[in-house]
Amino acid sequence: MQASRAAPYPAVLARLRRGKEDAIRALLALCALSALAVVTAVVAIFVHQSLPFFRTVPLSEFLGGTRWAPIHEPASYGILPLLGATLLVTAIALSVAVPLGFLAAVFLTAYAPPHLRAVLKPALELLAGVPTVVYGFFALRFVTPFLQRFLPVGFWNGLSAGLVMGLMITPYMASLSDDVLYAVPRSLWEAGYALGARRPTVLLRVVVPAAFSGIGAAFILALTRAVGETMIVALAAGRTPAWPPHPLKPLLPLTTAMVNIATGDHEAGAFIWSHLFAIGLLLFLVTFGLNLLSHRVIRRIRRRYA
Amino acid sequence: MKVLWRLGERGVVAGAFLALPLALFVLGVMVVVTALQAGLWADMHALEEAGLVLTGRSLALPGGAALPYLGVAQVREGSAAAALGIARGDVLVEVEGVPVERPLAAWSALARLPGPRREVPLRWIPRAEALLGALQTRAEAGRTFVVLAAPAPQAQDLGLRAGDVLLALEDVPVAGARQLWEAAVRLAREGRLPARLQVRRGEETLELLWDPRRSGVLPVERNAWRAWRALLTRLGDPRYPEQAGLLPAFLGSLGVVLVMAAVAFPLGIAAAIYLEEYARQTRFTAALEVLVASLAGLPSAVVGLLGLEIFARAMNLGRSILAGGFTLAVLVLPLVIIASREALRTVPRTLREAAFSVGATPWQTVRHHVLPYALPGILTGVVLSLSRALGEAAPLLFLGAFLYVTYVPQSLRDSFTVVPIQIFDWATRPQDGYAVVAACAILVLLGLVLLLNALAILLRARFQRRWAE
Repeated sequence: MQASRAAPYPAVLARLRRGKEDAIRALLALCALSALAVVTAVVAIFVHQSLPFFRTVPLSEFLGGTRWAPIHEPASYGILPLLGATLLVTAIALSVAVPLGFLAAVFLTAYAPPHLRAVLKPALELLAGVPTVVYGFFALRFVTPFLQRFLPVGFWNGLSAGLVMGLMITPYMASLSDDVLYAVPRSLWEAGYALGARRPTVLLRVVVPAAFSGIGAAFILALTRAVGETMIVALAAGRTPAWPPHPLKPLLPLTTAMVNIATGDHEAGAFIWSHLFAIGLLLFLVTFGLNLLSHRVIRRIRRRYA
Repeated sequence: MKVLWRLGERGVVAGAFLALPLALFVLGVMVVVTALQAGLWADMHALEEAGLVLTGRSLALPGGAALPYLGVAQVREGSAAAALGIARGDVLVEVEGVPVERPLAAWSALARLPGPRREVPLRWIPRAEALLGALQTRAEAGRTFVVLAAPAPQAQDLGLRAGDVLLALEDVPVAGARQLWEAAVRLAREGRLPARLQVRRGEETLELLWDPRRSGVLPVERNAWRAWRALLTRLGDPRYPEQAGLLPAFLGSLGVVLVMAAVAFPLGIAAAIYLEEYARQTRFTAALEVLVASLAGLPSAVVGLLGLEIFARAMNLGRSILAGGFTLAVLVLPLVIIASREALRTVPRTLREAAFSVGATPWQTVRHHVLPYALPGILTGVVLSLSRALGEAAPLLFLGAFLYVTYVPQSLRDSFTVVPIQIFDWATRPQDGYAVVAACAILVLLGLVLLLNALAILLRARFQRRWAE
């Protein structure tokens, strides 16, 4: 230690040190590219695997057909019943989660005193951490029997799955909207108050419009979460493809159909795998595209007010 | 118009104050009802310890209806139930004076009893062979008659002798042992016992008042602690909910999460370090940031299919713990990257500049100054993603994780199941009792996940406080 400090740093060691630094940098960069690698892998594999399907079945039949019976003879691959079921359940979920989540965010941003906010914000994360299979169990065993007291719902139905899914997404929606609303600078609030407006008026006429695109992005993120959700619908929504979808009857959403195919006893290389990847590709394109869009919007808002 | 707007404002304010309590209330209800359901496990286990494994069956009635009854699926040898003379195939009709028609009713009747140790009076109808004794059919003048060949002790007590011809039970003509038994079960379920049994002995016809039920007192000890220990530490038998075990799923979860941690955490933290500390802020890194955030929203079905194709098939890992861990790693990688970046971003610039000014290389700066300061924040992200991975079932379902595994996985290449998948499997089974076991497993999983989340929140609180000082 003493010697190296006295003598000038040897050139060899310096070069070695630079080499080590460069190696570390390269290694870290490689890790950073892993995210890109995942996206590339998804696109490459899903496109490659679903090619046989798209070569055989025309896109119009895939997206427009109202009969889904991939293992029957003659097989038909119209995913409209699945798509309809997914959209129906998503709509029910969002009609619960969006108002609840938005209002909770309003409370957190505008009304909660700082110490309450400091407790509630982590509590939201705690709620978001509840495993989805737990929500699914709740929907199947408690919400459906509860609904059966008032409505002619089946043992499996989209309504119960949708309601519980809404409950699941509420903390997510609340947390995202709160981020966006909270990012609106204090000066906008003060400007509103200076005009003599009261708190609700400033909130609804100044702050919410200022954060509107962000709330839209939060909405879209909640939507993609609902579309991609698997366990709740697999447990509570049923296994029967139906067109047109009815909220009180069993449904077969996209993700459940995928689980059914994947856990079914199909031999490797069978045509149905190709169909499975085609559905997966569709799901990926829709959710990932919407995600990219909303995260760009949220990023821009954060920067604008940073 | 203005009035309407005012009203709308009022509504939003009222809603804002109600939304969170409402959501929290519903979730609270959810946990409470699950816990209540799980409470029945101690009673299920107590009855199983006394030797009884129950199953819900049903009789086909004329006209297509079905009459449910409570069958005994198994009686353990040497148990209290076996000592009473209950055997497989018997039908339990009363527990503590309460008529029972399905397993749930028996367990609930037990749950209503106070105190852990009880002598429970039971009534049951023996299986067909033991009901009256050995029967024979004899053809006589174009008709078949059922003859009692060797009467059981109970039949002798009733006054029946060998050679008696059984004619009818109430209004049902006797056609065979099984049919007589079904009629007895039906009368018991309808509360019409004792019943009239018509017997022909020689030339005379007798009418006896017969109660096919037998009764006894079963000593049962309810011990919640022992019941939970059994659930958590045994392999389980997939056929009956009373004999369920969570150990394989528990070990599977542990293995998968460990593999996931070994892959995702170094990779994610390294990626975050590069993006925050090394990369220049270019359009590319900005795009990468959006990409990572979007990856976090990838549906688990897509991740599952990806894992199936890459790890299970291309890398030939099959349905192993390794493949499961890698798949979960893909799922949580973006979460780890995002959380680690946020933690690194909170480290003050001055710290780095101080290190550079004394001649530290970038890696030395990161290694000795930035990372130690960001560590609690990174740990928060790590713990959150651990809990996320622990609760995730869908991607592993795609991998074809076995729904029910009854062995301890020995190596990372063994097939496995995890706790959430086990819950999924139990929740979809229609038989009585599986909902109870699923509720128990849910309590365990929720406990673990919420514990991890609370730990993460605590870590972050400490972290924030340190910077505030």
